Amino acid sequence: MPKITVTTRSGEEREIDAPVGMSLMEAIREARIDEMLALCGGCCSCATCHVKVDPDFAGTLPPVSADESDLLDSSDHRDARSRLSCQIPVTAELAGLRVTIAPED
Amino acid sequence: MAGAVRIEEFADPGYDPFNSDEINFGDTLDPYSTIASWRSAGPVQEGDYRPRMGLQSALYPDRKSFTVIGTPEILEVLTDTERFSNAAYAFNLGITFGQGSISTMDNPEHGRWRKIFQKIFLPQFVKTWGESVVDPVVHGLMSKFVDRGHADLVSEFTIRYPFEVIYRQLDLPEADVRTFQRLAIGQTDYMNSDKAMEAGRKLGAYFVALVEERRGRPGNDLVTLLANTEVDGEYLPEVVLISFLRQLMNAAGDTTYRATSVLLTALLENPDQLEEIRRDRSLIAPAIEEALRWDGPVLVQLRMAKADVELGGVSIPAGSLLDVVAGAANRDPALFPEPDRFDIHRRRDAHFSFSRGPHICVGQHLARVEMTRALHAVLDHLPNLRFDPDRPRAEIRGSMMRVPHHLFVRFGG
Repeated sequence: MPKITVTTRSGEEREIDAPVGMSLMEAIREARIDEMLALCGGCCSCATCHVKVDPDFAGTLPPVSADESDLLDSSDHRDARSRLSCQIPVTAELAGLRVTIAPED
Repeated sequence: MAGAVRIEEFADPGYDPFNSDEINFGDTLDPYSTIASWRSAGPVQEGDYRPRMGLQSALYPDRKSFTVIGTPEILEVLTDTERFSNAAYAFNLGITFGQGSISTMDNPEHGRWRKIFQKIFLPQFVKTWGESVVDPVVHGLMSKFVDRGHADLVSEFTIRYPFEVIYRQLDLPEADVRTFQRLAIGQTDYMNSDKAMEAGRKLGAYFVALVEERRGRPGNDLVTLLANTEVDGEYLPEVVLISFLRQLMNAAGDTTYRATSVLLTALLENPDQLEEIRRDRSLIAPAIEEALRWDGPVLVQLRMAKADVELGGVSIPAGSLLDVVAGAANRDPALFPEPDRFDIHRRRDAHFSFSRGPHICVGQHLARVEMTRALHAVLDHLPNLRFDPDRPRAEIRGSMMRVPHHLFVRFGG
């Protein structure tokens, strides 16, 4: 399982084992980091699984879809590193990825 | 083509859809203590919710029913779409709003249409409506009683403003509004199903004509926008478009009326918290979330088991209906300590009042904008707001949907 480092809103860094095949959102939730709400359960219907992704990994992630982009626009905290973690499948290439949970809107 | 679009009243002139609340949604003062008394019997219990609350069972096809009150089980049903389906809503919402209502669908079909509606109601868009649409409506209604020193904030304000916001969004002719609201409310009179179906049919015919008119003569309104939205080079299917428009009144009007009425009642019952908000308007947002948690307008969602499933230790046969009591999760002491207390300073954990999962309320951001604007207006224009000591005290009632039917207040000197 690739290891991913998650920085929580309080600044705490947690290294988690992310199962391949899950979404990044599910992997974070499985690791019992509960501050990310992911209210819609992972079908790109809300923006409560917003994370900031290490720019070094931008090339290994699927591109942002128009729907994901619309939802990210609803956040006051969007920047170039913003993604909805439910839209990122965990793959072996993500080993070493660093993500930060975005502030709550 | 003035006059091409006609709205048709109920055939029975004596029918009053506004009297349909009690039989459909109950008049229980405190459903939460009843729900709490069920907890010891397990998170999932056989039998439907309505008769447990003293209501007649809903008129569904013959099959087993279960009531889900445990928070993990509620989350499981609302988010595990492999095992639990929204097809159950075909038996009620689908019949009146139309089987194109996205509430009756599962993914991927649901998501295909939802994303179109969802985009319109994203926060970045609806927040601009706060100033352009909601404020004028709110101030217009309030100006009629602001100098009087007393009012019924339900009949003069909360039951009117979210509907008027929608009429403006849809750009409905003024002359159609009264019949339109009667039909819209009548659509959910499921216990008088002939009236509910008559309302759905007449509202549908009206929207079909309105859509046609706005395709020929586009305006700057939501009907025009949706009527002219294309997916893969084609208009939205008529059944999806008309179902959505029919549902909009109940989804956006009725729920916001209820939620705002509950919010104001809660603040009047807790005048120290109202006073804190007067001094610090940044407390408006947590107050709205707490009101939604403490007594959200919709207590129960409906789902159907897709296969034989095990939930909370209970075996549920395929095709069974599940009453998922979101209101039970909102008052779960494991999540919200002292859950019956209204406390705007409570640790902010997500409530269940907009549901969860893929069907999470599309209109939630608009609801927040509307409630925020309504509360600002109350704080701006109604100083020294208090219950009217000479009138009956507001009572929030209902076991399916919650609302106080009156909120008599005094304000000013």
